[in-house]
Amino acid sequence: MSRRKPAKNEEACRSVAESVQEYGRGVAGGLMFSLPLLYTMEVWWAGFNAHPWRLAAYVAATFVLLLGYNRFAGLHHDAGMTEVAIDSVEEMGLGFIISVGALYLLGRVTFEMSLNEIAGQVVIEAMTIAVGVSVGTAQLGGGEDSGEGEAGGAGARAKRGGRAGKTGGARRGEPELHFGGQMLLAFCGATLFAANVAPTEEVVMIAVESSWLRLVGLALVSLLLGALILHYSEFTGAREFVRDEGFATVVAGSVATYGVALVASGLILWFFGRFDGVTLYTSLAQVIVLGVAATLGASAGRLLLQR
Amino acid sequence: MRKLQKNWVEWVVFAVGLALLASALAYLVYDGATMGSDPPSIEVRLGAPEPRAHNFIVPVAVTNHGDETAEGVAVEVLMESSGGEPARGELTIAFLPRRATREGFVTFQQDPRGARLTARVLGYEKP
Repeated sequence: MSRRKPAKNEEACRSVAESVQEYGRGVAGGLMFSLPLLYTMEVWWAGFNAHPWRLAAYVAATFVLLLGYNRFAGLHHDAGMTEVAIDSVEEMGLGFIISVGALYLLGRVTFEMSLNEIAGQVVIEAMTIAVGVSVGTAQLGGGEDSGEGEAGGAGARAKRGGRAGKTGGARRGEPELHFGGQMLLAFCGATLFAANVAPTEEVVMIAVESSWLRLVGLALVSLLLGALILHYSEFTGAREFVRDEGFATVVAGSVATYGVALVASGLILWFFGRFDGVTLYTSLAQVIVLGVAATLGASAGRLLLQR
Repeated sequence: MRKLQKNWVEWVVFAVGLALLASALAYLVYDGATMGSDPPSIEVRLGAPEPRAHNFIVPVAVTNHGDETAEGVAVEVLMESSGGEPARGELTIAFLPRRATREGFVTFQQDPRGARLTARVLGYEKP
């Protein structure tokens, strides 16, 4: 969660009301981004079918993702690593609490169930919610930033360049958005998008029914979408983070984004057990099918998540 | 490094978050370490039959004692009364996770009280 202190009063502690408001925003964001997964049967099943260690790995991976996201995106570029870690832990905690509450209300978790069944479902849903909480807190907010000229639209874009110098003192330690950070945000976005589609049966169905020609088509569309969103569509932020450069740069950028999208897509599919007992061709076909969603997420992640 | 400034609400949320995260990870690791790799082993228990308005119902509790989930568990209940073919009841359970119990009913037109009821699992899939 963002912990941007008021610029004029750097040492002031946030008021309780402000904190509660921020958590409220996080809860709303968490539910908004994860609602499709809370209402998906395949996710509940994955919760009790997956080996506990696979779930533990999922928790660890989500935590690393949150660390990266909180470090490079959101409102708090000035946060130190300790603060980033604390924020990530808080987001995970909110994720668990929301997950238990939502699954109970939806009747997915009852007191008669065995502990491993409850834990599996709660953990698997909590991770998506935690990412949603993180993204929601950073993206839905912005009120605190108004004093720094983040009024929105073109004004904010124009001022951003000057802001680094103007408030350089307050923003010391801001990590430069180097290639690695960009790719990490792309990975966050890809995971968030692809996770909504990956657990469904439809991905497998499309993958096994598609001819290789269609798969190549999907891959090309993914690459084009990546280029379109990053370089030609004038999305908010596109100018700031992607410099106008030649054709080769556009191609390289799209290929890099697509690569990240494919990796994210493969990892999520593996987690949901989609590679168990299928041929390499079917696995690859699934990765490409899901890759379209992941590319959209990866491109959006590079532009939108970091605002 | 800047000093951390957090109010009590934020510390409480952090403490609860840390506790939940640590206990969830600890449980998953423990659970993974202690679970075996037995295939599903399913026990069927029948409750006392009850008369209903249009038929008789027999409660069925199905428990998976194995370490893997069974999918599409088909359970058959036979009622053998003196003379004639045994009456047959059946139910299917979509998912029976490891160590989990699911409950349901089978119905009969004749009164099963006093008759001999036998239950067995017909089969199930690996998920």
